Amino acid sequence: MRLLGQDRDVLAATGVDADALDDIETWARRTVMVPEGAMVVDAHAHLGIDRDGRALAAADLVADLDANGITAAVAFAADEPGMDGDFREANQRVADAAEAHPGRIIPFCRLDPTRPIMAALAAADGAGARGLKLHPVAQRFRPEAPECVAAVREATDRGWPVLFHAGFGARPLGDAFAALLAQVPDARIILAHGGRGDHRALAAVAARYPNVLFDTSIAALPDLVTLPPERIIFGSDRPYGDHAQALHLVGTAARVAGWDAAALRGVLGETLLRWIGPVHV
Amino acid sequence: MNRTDALRVVALAAQAEMALVRRDGVCGPLLAQAARAAAGTPAELVLAEASRLVRAAPEREAVRQAALSLTRMGLHEAEASVLESA
Repeated sequence: MRLLGQDRDVLAATGVDADALDDIETWARRTVMVPEGAMVVDAHAHLGIDRDGRALAAADLVADLDANGITAAVAFAADEPGMDGDFREANQRVADAAEAHPGRIIPFCRLDPTRPIMAALAAADGAGARGLKLHPVAQRFRPEAPECVAAVREATDRGWPVLFHAGFGARPLGDAFAALLAQVPDARIILAHGGRGDHRALAAVAARYPNVLFDTSIAALPDLVTLPPERIIFGSDRPYGDHAQALHLVGTAARVAGWDAAALRGVLGETLLRWIGPVHV
Repeated sequence: MNRTDALRVVALAAQAEMALVRRDGVCGPLLAQAARAAAGTPAELVLAEASRLVRAAPEREAVRQAALSLTRMGLHEAEASVLESA
């Protein structure tokens, strides 16, 4: 059993009131009034063991989805590029997880665009990947750099959206993504964390490009409520975030911004599924 | 919660969030202050629980993560109060 994304027994062993945390978790989930028949899909989860020590196994992710009424999650490798630095082995583990949990885990390919990418891309494509994840901070590249533009172009040619880390980091991001999109204007870009790393500049860029979405994982509420809801997709950032908190953020944003049921349905899953295709549980 | 109190909670909870991320022990006092500033609101409930968690076992990673989750909920509740009062 997990509680706020953590092992309940570990929390209980510290002497904390696990029942009180249960009540809070239930309250947080209920912040979202999920419209009848809406499908909830998490756009942002990491599988594997990150070099920072954080880890999430596929079975635990699926248990989290079940506990929170979530149909499926987009998952990609943690920051574990492997000996060759091209994420091939980690991507295969994500693909294996998707195969083991059909319809529950939607695999994205993770790459380091500063390394040769074609073999890793082909392997991920062959194993069923449905999108690309890039992390400019972890892999130390700029979104507008030629090697990143090439990776985005390859993904776009495969019909994949590209999810970028756009959270914690020092660099300005507005001009960087504008330059990237100018070179690959048909790319479909998901800016993670509500683009909180440089939200105002990124929102201005997104206003010029309809094919840019923002995920809600560890996002800032003021950023989300100023975006059109059709540009927002639900995400958790598991294991760095948890689903109850992620649902609470979306429910709070819906209340503050006054989203109607159709808008909420889009944020919770429909908008993402229009990009990546249906899931069959 | 009036706007001034909500801003106070936003400031304290945001500092506590970063302190938790940085594993800085100052998160404990910040969370306790944030919970008091949020008295009588849903933010108080989650921030007080986060404060209790970090006092109980600040060295446990699971505790830190759960406290981080609660702190973010408290922060968003307080931010919502500010936005709704604008």
